[in-house]
Parts: sequence; C-alpha cells; structure tokens
Amino acid sequence: MSKIGLVIGREYSSRVRKKSFILMTILGPLLFAGIIAAAIWVSVADNTEHEVLVVDYAGMLSYVNPDNGRMEASYPEIFKGDEKLQFHFTDQLPSDSSFINSPYTLMLEFDDSILAAKKAHLYYKDLPSTQVSMRVTGALENGIERVKVRENDQIDYRTYKRLKTSISLAKFDINHKEDASMDQEKGIVGMMLAIIIFFFIFLYGSQVMRGVIEEKSNRIVEVIVSSIKPFQLMMGKIIGIGLVGLTQFLIWIVLSIVIFSVAGMIFESGGFDSVAAVNGLRSGGQTPIDFETFLQQQDGFSLLVSINWPLILFMFFIYFIGGYLLYGSLFASVGAAVDSETDTQQFLMPVMLPLFFSYFVAIMSVNNPEGFAAKVFSFIPLSSPIIMMIRTPMNSTTIWELMLSVALLFVTAVFFVWLAGRIYRTGILMYGKKPSYREIWKWIKFNS
Amino acid sequence: MNALEAKNITKKYAEHVALDDVSIQVPEGAVFGLLGPNGAGKTSLIRIINQITGPDEGEIVLFGESLQAKHVSNIGYLPEERGLYKKMKVGEQAMYLAQLKGMRKQEAKQKLEAWFERFEIMAWWNKKVEELSKGMAQKIQFVTTVLHEPKLLILDEPFSGFDPINVELIRNELMRLKDEGASIILSTHNMGSVEEICDNIALINKSKKVLEGRVDDIREAHAHQEYELRFKGTSIAFANALWTNFELLSQEGDKDLQRARVRLGEGMKLNDLLRAVVDHVELIDVNRNLPSMNDIFIQTVTQNAEDHE
Repeated sequence: MSKIGLVIGREYSSRVRKKSFILMTILGPLLFAGIIAAAIWVSVADNTEHEVLVVDYAGMLSYVNPDNGRMEASYPEIFKGDEKLQFHFTDQLPSDSSFINSPYTLMLEFDDSILAAKKAHLYYKDLPSTQVSMRVTGALENGIERVKVRENDQIDYRTYKRLKTSISLAKFDINHKEDASMDQEKGIVGMMLAIIIFFFIFLYGSQVMRGVIEEKSNRIVEVIVSSIKPFQLMMGKIIGIGLVGLTQFLIWIVLSIVIFSVAGMIFESGGFDSVAAVNGLRSGGQTPIDFETFLQQQDGFSLLVSINWPLILFMFFIYFIGGYLLYGSLFASVGAAVDSETDTQQFLMPVMLPLFFSYFVAIMSVNNPEGFAAKVFSFIPLSSPIIMMIRTPMNSTTIWELMLSVALLFVTAVFFVWLAGRIYRTGILMYGKKPSYREIWKWIKFNS
Repeated sequence: MNALEAKNITKKYAEHVALDDVSIQVPEGAVFGLLGPNGAGKTSLIRIINQITGPDEGEIVLFGESLQAKHVSNIGYLPEERGLYKKMKVGEQAMYLAQLKGMRKQEAKQKLEAWFERFEIMAWWNKKVEELSKGMAQKIQFVTTVLHEPKLLILDEPFSGFDPINVELIRNELMRLKDEGASIILSTHNMGSVEEICDNIALINKSKKVLEGRVDDIREAHAHQEYELRFKGTSIAFANALWTNFELLSQEGDKDLQRARVRLGEGMKLNDLLRAVVDHVELIDVNRNLPSMNDIFIQTVTQNAEDHE
C-alpha cells in the first residue's frame, strides 16, 4: 500500500470506529424519518369543519332535485358528508368575491374534461389539511369512477382497474391565484440539502483542523513527516476524513431507502390503520393505495417523490467533494498555524465568514432562485456548493451553469489545496507564538 | 566510508540564517554527538537530513549516495518534540509507524513482537497510548524509531524526559545497535552522556560549526597541563615542594590521603613536577586531568560569543 493510502486508512478507520460516528450515522435517518412521520401525523390530524362547494358544470355527479329545485349529488352515498365535511353542488362558478364571502371553505371545480385530463381545481381560503383534500379527492375519484362504470355495462375487475382514475388537484389560494406553490416546496428541499452540505463541510472541515492540531499538539507530526512528505500527510488526512463524510451520507441514503420501504410495507399491509382510518382511505370500497401514492397526495411530501433525486444526489456528491476540499484545506491551514484549539479563533474567522455568508444567501435564494445574488454566488466557489444545492432542485439552472460552477469550484479547490500545503509544511513544525498573517504569507512564499 | 556527510549546508529562513556553510562527517559505526546551544541550528540540520526540509545550498551524502526520498527507510528519527496518537492502541500505532517507514505488515508485526517481548511490554499491545505512563510511552517511541533497523539513527535529546531506568535501558540499546553496525547521531545537551558514549562530535554555535572531531582528540587538544596527584604526607610539605613554576589549583584530604590538582607552568613537564615533590611526600598515583566536554562546550561557546563582539 502506498504511504498516502496508509494515512487515509488510519484517518478513516480511526473515525468510523468511533461510537459518536456510529450513533450519528444510525440516528440521523431515524431522526429524519421521525420528523417526517410527525409532520404527516400533524397534517393528518385536523379538526376544522369544511363546507365544500362542488362546481359541476356538466352535471356529471349532480342533478336538480325537482322537489326543491336544488342541486344534489347523484351518488349521495359518496358525497354523504359528516360533521367535518359537507358537500354542496352547483353548476355555476361563483365570482371570487362571492366565494370569499360565502360560508364555503373550499370550492371544487371541474367539467367533463375531467374524464380525459383527470384534473380538477380546488380553491381554498385556508389550505386544507391532507386529510381533507384526500377525502375530497377520494370522493371525486369515486364519483368519476361511477360515471365511467355507468357508461359501461360489462364491468369486470380488470376493466374496473383500467377505469380506475386517480385525480390530482391543482390547488390555488383564492387570494393569490397566480402563485404556483410547488416551486417553493422544492425550494425547501433545496434548503434542506443546502443545510446538510453546509453542516457536512463545516463538521468534516473542522475535523480536519482538529486532526492537524492533534498531531501538532501531541508532537507526533515530526515523526510522521520524517517518513512521508507533509503534503501527503495533509492530503491523506483530508481525503480520509472526506471519505468518512461520504460513508456517513451513503449509509444515510441506504437507511432512508430501507426505512421508506419498510414504512411503505407497514402502510400497505394496514399497519397505518389509524392514519388510514382518519383519512377515510378505506371508505367507499376504495382500493387501498400504495405508500408512494399516499406520499404523493400529502402536501409537501408529494415533492419528495416527484423530485429528480438521482441528479440532486449526484450534484450533492460533486459539490460536497469540491466544497469540502476547498474548505477542508483552509481548515487544515488553520490547524497548522496554531498550537491548540483555543488559538484558532483569529484564523477561523475568515474561513467561517464565507461559509456562513453562503448560508444566508441560500436562505434568501429560496424565494428567488433566479435572482442576481443567487446567480452570482452559485458560481463563486466559496459559496457555490451551498447555493447550487438550492437552485438545482428548483430546476432554475442549466447544465452549462452547473458545469461552469463545478469547474470553477474544482479549479479553486485545487489552488486552495496547494496553498494549504505550503502553509501546512511550515506550520506543523512551528511551536510557540501564534503567527501573524504576514508570517503565514512568508510561509506560502518561501521554498522549503 | 562515512555514514553521513553534510557538505556546506546553508539554510535560510525568512528572518534568519539557521545554518551557515555547515559541514560534518559522521563515520560509519560511530556515535556522533551533535552539540550546540539552543537555537544554534542543530534541529534545522537534523530536519534536512530527514528530508523534512531541504537545504538552500549544499548537499547531504548518505552512505555514498546523494540524499533522496528512498533513504527515508534507512534513517530512524526520534525528534526532540516526540509523541504518539493518544487515542490509538499501542500495537496498531507501532504498526502504522513501521509501515510508514516502508516495512511490510507481516515483517513489522514480527519485529515488533520481538521488541515488545524484549522490553517486556507485550501486555500493552492493545492499550491506548493515553493509558500509558510517560516512561512507557517513551519506550514505545524508541522501539518505533529503531524497528525498521535503520543504518543511521538520529536521536534528538534522547535522554531528556526519560527516567533514569529508561535512560540506562536506552543507552544499553544504543550501544548494542552500535555494535551491530548502526551509525548514530545524538543531539544533546547532556555532556556527561557525550563523554561516555560519543566517539565523535561536532559543535554548532550560531548556525556555524565551530568544532568537530573525535572526543578524545578534542579533550586532548583542550587539555591544560593539569594533573591530579594523590599522596600521603602533609599538605604544607607538598605546597612547599612546588616551585613557582607550578600552580596549586586545589588541595584536600588529611595526612593519610591527600588529593591535589596542579597546573604545570610554561615549559614544565610531568617529570619536573614529580621530581619536585617525590622527596617530600609519598605518591600514590598521578592522573592527567582532561577537561570535561562540558567545560569545552562552555568555553568554546563563550569564546565564540566574545569573538563576535
């Protein structure tokens, strides 16, 4: 094995065997899954009462009752309603203002194009809970299925399956009709990724720094550099610790997939009965839906399924590697310049500043991924790993932008590694007084 | 052949010159003392030999070859600032350091076990370094320095911080390694150990070499004509017997055994001294009083400082 491989091996194996690493790696996805489960639960448990106005232009699901002249459901057993949800029918779309002033909380609108397009509109005053929108969807699906079945006398199971219709609701806030809200939700996924990459760079970068300080303060570094070049030692450390980070992330992905599948299996086998019951999923003889469809129908979680994960994860790895190399080498230089962790503050400042700055730009970019700041900082290597994580899921980048940003990142990272190597080889053998920036500049300049 | 030759080494740092045209020759199989006050440039020279830094000018020749990367495995280096990974297990760590020196895993394991058996520290193999005492850690450091059987050993202040038992142990091991053919460079302030175990020395002061040679030759060259005599008789008789050509430096004891240090005057020989006293006291023995390396060190360094003023 080559010597740098030995260093990588030591850095890697000494870290992945740590209890804290194992704990974090296992607890991470469980924690994440727990948060999602809690979010689903909260979105499901809702007690608001809803009056739904069904605008049925074509009279597909309603008729005028000759007794009282009012429109009523053709299939009352489907639109039965209870104390939490009541359906009312009309064939006239009320004006926005009259809907706003009406006692109705939701307005469901569709015409006969629903048979082909399988789309209906739901207007709301306050965003309905998942539970409510699923009941509305379920009732609508059921009704439309009845319509189809009515037109077809020879129904067997296979035909029914073929006719079975799944409707997706495009929801609009009646007060802000123009907003398509999905992008913002994707922005939240981007934000989460940005936070993860921020923490990965920060946590593993500072591990590099601590590792360098450890070798310096326990005085082993001179023994080591009498066997290998300081640059090899530094690179071995950076690579070894980076691999630990990648390992952790990979395990997280695998565990997440496992948790997702297990949750799905439990869900489909009825283990989520309570959730399913609350949702009325099994009412009306509806066939049970699979977990993915269930998630798809959950507000905010539909995008977990709809997002282009392979691209996002690939970009995550690329940006993590680039960003980590860049910041990791800066952290290594800081470690080499000081004797103990208490001395690091002065030098950490210029390293942390761009990192935190990127984080704040990231928060701003969620609302405006096409904005000037988001665009510029997604090319600047010190901030691009974080900002691009926001822009990529929102599809606001082109492949050329991604490639340029990645290229700039890696060129800069290599330069920073070179710079760090020069600071490192002098710094690790310097004990005693803390160097000034001028001295560090001399370390960079002079030839060893 | 010389184990190591440093030829006209100059090393400048940003602020100062660490080594100014320094040349030394370390004979093969010898223990070579690299002496000098703090900051003289010893560590700089040692780091150059270890290829941790490179010289600005000059050349290092190791066993007849110009110094290059592959020589790392021929050198064993115990720096003055030495330590171990605290959280790592002893055996694992020793294996790691051995492999860094280019040893194969199997070979490293075998040799380590032999050393651990000899030092009776096999029980430490799976202990973490932080569980060891300082003296125990020192033994590990020594073992990892010599494990790969380097032809050249470089020890920077090897005895500082070691307890007396370990000092004795290390000294014996060094002598054994020397007998087996290793050449040893010893950088130290401990002049007692220099006289005892060094064959040759070089003295570096203010980045220049000011003295080099065999320890015996150097002591001889710095010797004043001083003798220590032991005799029976009265001190007055002895003092009276000395002419003005002899200087009585010190005298102590009683009439059964007197001890006196005498410096010969210009042109005087030992025979003259003996002739002068032989009839007045009963001589027991006479010894030439060689200056200690400590004296020579201090004398050379202070003289050096005066020369600069």
